[in-house]
Amino acid sequence: MTAVLRPYRPTTGPSRSSGRLRSYDRVLLVAVFLLCVIGALLVWSATRTRLLDEGANPQTYLAKQVLNTALGAVLLVLASRVDSRLLRLLGPALYLASILGLLAVFVFGSTINGAHAWIVLPAGFEIQPAEFAKLGLILALAVLFGQRAERRAAGMPPRPRELLGALVLAIVPLGLIMLQPDLGSAMVLVAATFGVFLSAGVQTRWIVAMIAVGVVGAVLAIHAGLLAEYQLARFAAFTHPGQDPQGVAYNITQADIAISHGGLLGQGLFHGAQTSGAFVPEQQTDFVFSVAGEELGFAGSAAVIALFGVVLWRGTRIALAATETSRYVAAGVVCWIGFQAFQNIGMNLGLTPVTGLPLPFVSYGGSSMFAMGLAVGTLEAIHRTNRQSSQR
Amino acid sequence: MRSGNGASYQPGRLPRGARPRPRRSTYYGPASHRSRVFVLTVLLASLLLTLLARLAYVQLIDPNKPIQSAGLTHLGAITVPAPRGDIVDSRGRVLVGNAAVQVLTVNRSALDALDDKGIAVLDRLAGLIGTPAADLRREITPCGSTVPAPCWTGEPYEPVPVATGISASVILAVSEHAEDYPGVAVQTQSELSYPGGSSAAHLLGYAGAVSEADKKTDKALVDADTIGRSGLEESYDQVLRGVDGTQYVDLAPTGEAVGTGPSVAAKPGDTLVTSIDSKVQQLAEKSLSDQIATSRKAGNAAPSGAVVVMDPHTGRIIAAASYPTYDPALFVGGISNADYAKLTAPAANDPLVSRAIAGQYAPGSTFKLVSLSDDVMSGAMSLDGQYPCPGSLTVDGRVKTNYDGESFGGAITPKFALQVSCDTFFYAPAVAEYYADQARVDKKQKPLEQEQAMARAFGFSSAPGVDLPADEQASGTIAGRATRQARWDANKTQYCADAKRGYPEVTNPTNRAYLTLLASENCTDGWRYRAGDNADLAIGQGDTTLSPLQLATAYSAMVNGGTLYAPTLGWAEVNQNGKVTKTITPKVVRKVPVSKQVLDFFGDSLHFDDSHAVSGALAFDGSPIKTLIGGKTGTAEVYGKQDTSWFASWGPVQPGQPVSNAKYVVVSMVEQAGTGASAAAPIARKVFEGLLGASAPAISPGGHPATVLPKIAPTVRTTTAASAAPSSSPGAPPAATASQSANASPSANTGQSANASHSATASRSVTSAPSGLPDAVPTAGTSMGRRR
Repeated sequence: MTAVLRPYRPTTGPSRSSGRLRSYDRVLLVAVFLLCVIGALLVWSATRTRLLDEGANPQTYLAKQVLNTALGAVLLVLASRVDSRLLRLLGPALYLASILGLLAVFVFGSTINGAHAWIVLPAGFEIQPAEFAKLGLILALAVLFGQRAERRAAGMPPRPRELLGALVLAIVPLGLIMLQPDLGSAMVLVAATFGVFLSAGVQTRWIVAMIAVGVVGAVLAIHAGLLAEYQLARFAAFTHPGQDPQGVAYNITQADIAISHGGLLGQGLFHGAQTSGAFVPEQQTDFVFSVAGEELGFAGSAAVIALFGVVLWRGTRIALAATETSRYVAAGVVCWIGFQAFQNIGMNLGLTPVTGLPLPFVSYGGSSMFAMGLAVGTLEAIHRTNRQSSQR
Repeated sequence: MRSGNGASYQPGRLPRGARPRPRRSTYYGPASHRSRVFVLTVLLASLLLTLLARLAYVQLIDPNKPIQSAGLTHLGAITVPAPRGDIVDSRGRVLVGNAAVQVLTVNRSALDALDDKGIAVLDRLAGLIGTPAADLRREITPCGSTVPAPCWTGEPYEPVPVATGISASVILAVSEHAEDYPGVAVQTQSELSYPGGSSAAHLLGYAGAVSEADKKTDKALVDADTIGRSGLEESYDQVLRGVDGTQYVDLAPTGEAVGTGPSVAAKPGDTLVTSIDSKVQQLAEKSLSDQIATSRKAGNAAPSGAVVVMDPHTGRIIAAASYPTYDPALFVGGISNADYAKLTAPAANDPLVSRAIAGQYAPGSTFKLVSLSDDVMSGAMSLDGQYPCPGSLTVDGRVKTNYDGESFGGAITPKFALQVSCDTFFYAPAVAEYYADQARVDKKQKPLEQEQAMARAFGFSSAPGVDLPADEQASGTIAGRATRQARWDANKTQYCADAKRGYPEVTNPTNRAYLTLLASENCTDGWRYRAGDNADLAIGQGDTTLSPLQLATAYSAMVNGGTLYAPTLGWAEVNQNGKVTKTITPKVVRKVPVSKQVLDFFGDSLHFDDSHAVSGALAFDGSPIKTLIGGKTGTAEVYGKQDTSWFASWGPVQPGQPVSNAKYVVVSMVEQAGTGASAAAPIARKVFEGLLGASAPAISPGGHPATVLPKIAPTVRTTTAASAAPSSSPGAPPAATASQSANASPSANTGQSANASHSATASRSVTSAPSGLPDAVPTAGTSMGRRR
């Protein structure tokens, strides 16, 4: 990893440290930091009563989440120092590594919540290769389009051959993730691919055609029984939540109860009836937003959404300022974060079907935090390159 | 999107030559890509705005907020068993009722909330009710894979009954010092009660705990329910059962009950009005047991007996006594092992079996109703003819004698033959019928077997169809060629083996020789239906068996002019508002193929006068009602035992009046007690004297069975549901969490325990009874296995 690091030497600024900080998009960092802090508090609130009940230290999850966040921050800093021009090397490497990781899941993997998606490491850590595959795919697609872009007339849309290559690149991890099966991650991959395609100038008709094929494929998959039982059940619970209140729909119902009783200002941190009663399963991970809804109310949860708005705003701003490969990466990352946040909060609000997806920066979990650290670090790296370019 | 951006892809619009570097000079890059990223921005912004809108709706606007889980998913449900419906007699007197019992319950979650987990409370309670604290602790521990029985099979939040029928001092101690007994409560529960004690036990039957098999066949059943196991309780179970109620309790996330929620009242079962007259029933029972005592004093074994009192015009059963009997109250709350062992011990002589309805006995001369009907209807005999009654008759090489070999010389009338109960009189036509049938068999024709057909027409050898469980009513046997063949086919191997073996275990050489001869005859010729068999049938001997109930039904047909009813006990179903929801009308099985003339002749001939002309009249000597009664004695010989004493009677009929005036048919039977006149007839005499008011006022008003349904008052029953004591301080966040689903049920079963040191079942809804009595074997511990 150190080999690809290129220490940044400030050309401007009064001091090295302040200059280094100034080279970051600080608004983005602050938004991400606030989301992480809120996330840690919500994870704490969601897990403390359960842990107390088990006679364990009520801060166990909090501590692990703080550690996850710290490691994510380290990854963020490391990634931010990578020269974005090295992405051509890094992209394919991370892509291949994540493909290997996805394959490894089938050999060493463990099944959690229906998806065979985790590799359990010693010391209580698990890795979910799919999280890294998202970044890997974005980088690989961006590099593919970027390389070709140089050979095209400026502004020319990618040629069908490039498009075909990009599709092959996307389909490999997508297929592996669908096999786990992890529908949520697969949807995020599609969204990220969409972001890269869009920013890379792929013609609208191709994008529309791909969306159409995707929709038809999804319908066929459901009818052909390609989806796992639990996935269908989740969809059924989404469309008919009253059908099975103790089963799959339980999550939805309980999260709905929690959020709807938050009101404007919420019941107060650590004071949510549903949350402290541990009624909402997976509340520290996929349903962490329901804690915000209940305990922080509309004000707090709208603030969470607003912070995502800030993250996405800064992300698109970086994408706008970037060129070719970097721009595609930034657009892909923004799409990734944006869609995953939408999907996660949406399922908490009963807006989208339940799929196992963490809320970026907020949900408990290492892999997501690490991948997000890398993603934001990449954005920051692009930002710095943009600044350097514009200052030159 | 496409239309807006399409133009920007035109190469001509872009700076050529200096590609792609010039883009650096503009911070935001070329328009084409900017617009693409702009599209992305719009998409993402719309996603976030959608979320915000939805969030605002859910949190601020939506008026239909889902109920919080503290009140919804963690409502615990405690089944409040519906009290079973009463069973009342034809005058509205309660035969099976519901009694309120005080039950001491312990709420485990309340104890757990205490600092010492309730150890002190249980210790105090143990001293109070005399049950070791360790046992109490075990009883209230919910069953689980690691929890051995005895344990609590209900929900953890349900109060566990630990003592029932507690004394007033215990109630007082608990209620006065409530602070010493947190989580301990006194509840009122309803359990079956029997005001008449063991009276009519065989008719009423008993109810018991629900088994796993019951729950499979009837999804509405839960552990707390009580299900009819025999008698009317079983056959009218659906009527009597009612609909369970539910008491909801608010549960903290920990699973402990913190308050009482809404409740759905249990709907008591309907009342079953029966045709039983409890006073007649008690009179019949007393007369029977008194006579059995008398017979035993006279040196007879008299192990058992039965009395049936029937309304001959409807087939309704007014009383049916059976000796020995049992106390159905033993089954309330689950019968203990010791009690069950006592009831099923050989010495107890099967008190659970109704001799009146499920017993099968040779009827002796009472069967001559069938013989006479057959003989006259088939034309073999004329009512005004005269036929011989020799002291003995040789049939098929065997000498058959009259009872005690008495002879009335020459030819006698059918009337006289009935009165003195001459057997040989009825042999001749039976034997003639047999040979006529044999001639048909020899010609490969079907035998008519008219005697058997007549017996079947009177309801014999088929279930009487009384409204009791099918396995509690005997069909009896009427032998014929086909039945004999079938029996031989089934048993010939055994016959031949027995003949070979020669009964070495029988010590008496005469008996041994007889049994061996019988076996070897059966081995070779057991399939053969002989002339002697037909003769035996004519006098109710041989293979002929029937139940007292069947005989009463047949004699009712004789009295009412030929209508054979399916006897009934149920009369009406009355709901809890006192409204009759169903009247059970008597079912006619058939008209017997006998002319009224013959039936009247039979009744008239056997009507008592002042003399001893009719054999049974002796038993009525000195009774003021003697001339109102008619009856036929029966004395059935049973190999190796004393005679079975029978008496089938009817009355009251004023002299000269038609037999159909009789309001009652009374059939009495005592096993191994001598002649019909010596044991059975005296029972009927006492019953009739009571019915008709010979010495005291008649016990049945008007001297006839009840004709109008009794008024049943609307049911008001008190069954308090479990009230869960609040056990956690409000305001503070609950300390722990438990199961998500309040409906999860413990997996472990009621256990078997040998701990018989105390009995702690609360009510019939908390029982450990053997569930399939009388067939099932009870569980091992007395009342210790827990059911809700």
